[in-house]
Amino acid sequence: MKRGGNHARRIHEKHWLERRARKKFLRPRNKPYQARSDVERFGTVNQYTRGSIKKATGAKAPIELVLPAKLDFEENFETTASHFRHIRDAARGRYRIRRLGFEQITDISPAAALALASEIDRWKQKAVGMKADTPTWDPDIKRLLCEMGFFELLKLPRPASEPPGNVRFLNFLPGSSQPNDKGKLAKELRINIEKIVGPGLVQKHVLFDSLSEAITNVIHHAYPGVTGGASAKPWWLSASFDSSSRKLTVLIYDQGVGIPETLPARWAHFEKVKEIFHTWSDSQKIQAAATYGRSSTNRPERGKGLGNLQEFAKAHEDGTLSIYSRHGLYRLSHASGNQIQTDLRDHDSSVGGTLIEWSVRL
Amino acid sequence: MRTINIAKDFSDTPLGRYRDDGQYSGERFREDFLLPALKAEKTVRVEIDGVEGYGSSFLEEAFGGLVRKGEFTAEELRRRLELALKDKDFEMYRALIWRYVAEAKRE
Repeated sequence: MKRGGNHARRIHEKHWLERRARKKFLRPRNKPYQARSDVERFGTVNQYTRGSIKKATGAKAPIELVLPAKLDFEENFETTASHFRHIRDAARGRYRIRRLGFEQITDISPAAALALASEIDRWKQKAVGMKADTPTWDPDIKRLLCEMGFFELLKLPRPASEPPGNVRFLNFLPGSSQPNDKGKLAKELRINIEKIVGPGLVQKHVLFDSLSEAITNVIHHAYPGVTGGASAKPWWLSASFDSSSRKLTVLIYDQGVGIPETLPARWAHFEKVKEIFHTWSDSQKIQAAATYGRSSTNRPERGKGLGNLQEFAKAHEDGTLSIYSRHGLYRLSHASGNQIQTDLRDHDSSVGGTLIEWSVRL
Repeated sequence: MRTINIAKDFSDTPLGRYRDDGQYSGERFREDFLLPALKAEKTVRVEIDGVEGYGSSFLEEAFGGLVRKGEFTAEELRRRLELALKDKDFEMYRALIWRYVAEAKRE
């Protein structure tokens, strides 16, 4: 009798938990209807126990994610960012990806390639049983992905090498690989850059200065409150070189909270603009961090970093510094004659952290 | 006089402000290398070239920090600290260090 009662209660509890889990995926009454893509579908509901509390999750059906033809953070920002968000969500366990399709990609920018590599780097633990149908891939994309180390990331066999093209990508470097000597990574990147552009990289010290400030900025601000060592605060470095235009692109990307989020805590003048701060767009907040960010928590020695990021771009005639953070983009272009052009843009989608790009002509 | 060659005695890739930032931070260089040398000797020569470069956080914390923490005044450091270099590319860092020392205010 007692067993029967417990059994009935367990069944009732299970149904209640299942209903609650499914409701998470239902449209709230105050939210307008939107066409659902297959990533919105949910599958079975699993019950699990954490401590003495029973919980249930609605496991979504595995999805097939085919990456679009063009991946970049310029004209195709929204498409690129939304596809990367799905991979990020898969890394967080919100989706399961059955297949990640590369066959449609015809064009990928260095910044998008690094962001994609970093998303896959975080997701790879869950990417069990991945297959790469490389014969259907664009040869240039296959070569670029090879150079960046995609196949090693996904633990897939490296396809037969393609002849090098005009644009060379460098194997991307995860920040957690040198938790105690992050400067070694910046040096390794410089050595790798010199392997493709030739020895004697002009302004190599300035490149190290800008990179070291960007890395320090990630350590101090990108992951507030996150503990658990270097692997819990990931960031990635990479570079590419276009030999036809002699354009060098250097990149650092983190998946932290973003500069707009951390600005109030790092900026002494925040109190003065507190009333209007919420009206600022993300790009305006990045601009504030880069141009007025002279102080952190009222300590005048802090906050010199973001302003110093532009030094490497400034040291070249055609240098550009782009800071993408959350939904905003702040870009400084140095033209000849010390002319500086500023560009602010905001997007619907987030870049998923902060991406800093230096682009210079050698 | 004691001589500290940053590249050989400390690291050729100094980076970061605080000890938490990594093994070769400005705080560690100041506390474990610069300060003991300045306390033991009348003058200290620091050879600043031979490294990959310096971020402003490292330089400010290592050298500006000496004034901020109240160990020395800017004038005293000018007398007792010699910043030496053979590579002309490092002239800009010497200028930066003296700027951070001059701008630093005692906490």
